[in-house]
Amino acid sequence: MPRVLIVDDHAFVRRGVQNIVDSFPDWELCGEASNGGDGVRMIEELRPDVVLMDVSMPGMDGIEATRAVRKGNSRIKIILITLHESVELLRSGFRAGANGYLLKADAEEELINALRIVIGDGCYISPKFDPQVVAQVLKEIQPASAKQPIGQISHRNDAEGP
Amino acid sequence: MMEESTRGAEMAVSSTPPFGGSTAALRILIVDDHDILRRGLKEILNAKPGWEVCAEAKTGKEAVALAEKLKPQIVVMDISMPDLNGLEAARRIHRALPKTGILFLTMHFSDQLVREVIECGARGYILKSDADRDLVAAVDCIANRRTFFTSRASEMLLGGQAFLGISVSEPKLPLRSRLTSREREIVQLLAEGKSSKEVAAALGISVKTAETHRANIMRKLEIHSVSELVRYAIKNQIIEA
Repeated sequence: MPRVLIVDDHAFVRRGVQNIVDSFPDWELCGEASNGGDGVRMIEELRPDVVLMDVSMPGMDGIEATRAVRKGNSRIKIILITLHESVELLRSGFRAGANGYLLKADAEEELINALRIVIGDGCYISPKFDPQVVAQVLKEIQPASAKQPIGQISHRNDAEGP
Repeated sequence: MMEESTRGAEMAVSSTPPFGGSTAALRILIVDDHDILRRGLKEILNAKPGWEVCAEAKTGKEAVALAEKLKPQIVVMDISMPDLNGLEAARRIHRALPKTGILFLTMHFSDQLVREVIECGARGYILKSDADRDLVAAVDCIANRRTFFTSRASEMLLGGQAFLGISVSEPKLPLRSRLTSREREIVQLLAEGKSSKEVAAALGISVKTAETHRANIMRKLEIHSVSELVRYAIKNQIIEA
């Protein structure tokens, strides 16, 4: 049963994520932290399979926290959550080692989708981004594998639409 | 929604609060444009026995319409939303329902904000990042006709600064209050990058009317460019930075 951990300074977001994860019996929320520093420590202790990491937090932000987690561990999946649809942030996030980028505006609808994609070793990127822009950014970051990320492909090939 | 109708059946039918009111649920309207935030808010508020989230709104306009229809005792509202922002929605709700307690959720603290919040008729605000600690206490206070501000705002209020000279019922009129309700709405749309044509379409008015409003706004605020307008809008919490 894949275990999820949420790091976000807003209680409402943590509560909302818990509520969603609770309604999917194959997923378990194993912990929550309200800042980057606590998040990194908790991740080390609890070893979740996926981390939902808010980008803008006071003190250590989500990108720094992602770097810190990556130093110790290459297997934990990290999905950044942010208010902002920003290509720059997407770039820094993936450079820091994130596996996904989820927008808060989409979070309710897209959360489980994002979790499933990254646990299956894909990258998840919010469908709000232009797929060509995304392809460009990913090419910059992983020039060796210019393959499309699974997240984008599943959106485009999805018969029901986004 | 199933949980809400069950709770409704246990309490008295809550369309109008009965006299006495101690057995009726405290009915709360929540307003935020992020679905996941509303979900979390609903979780926290519904968990309190005797409290019931009676409806949710995604925009300021929906909030005003739902408040007028359902007459909740409390409105918990994000201050920054697209289209009609929280402060303006609160002004309208307060005018229609002066007894309804309005609590804002904000990302930032500022002296300016405390003033604005009081002047629009709301009874308090809490920072989203302090929600764990403050939300329940804040709703409790406001339900009992008291105000609740984050502890930082309270320091400012107790510090006896000049701000205390503004009485809540007759606010002094700084420049921005001379804007009409419609003009404030248009400031937000313009600051979000909409052209006069798009503003006209959004509000169902003619382009000429939209342009007239825009000219009046620039004149009243004594500004000359859209970038100044954007800065004004950010400074006055009409849009988020």
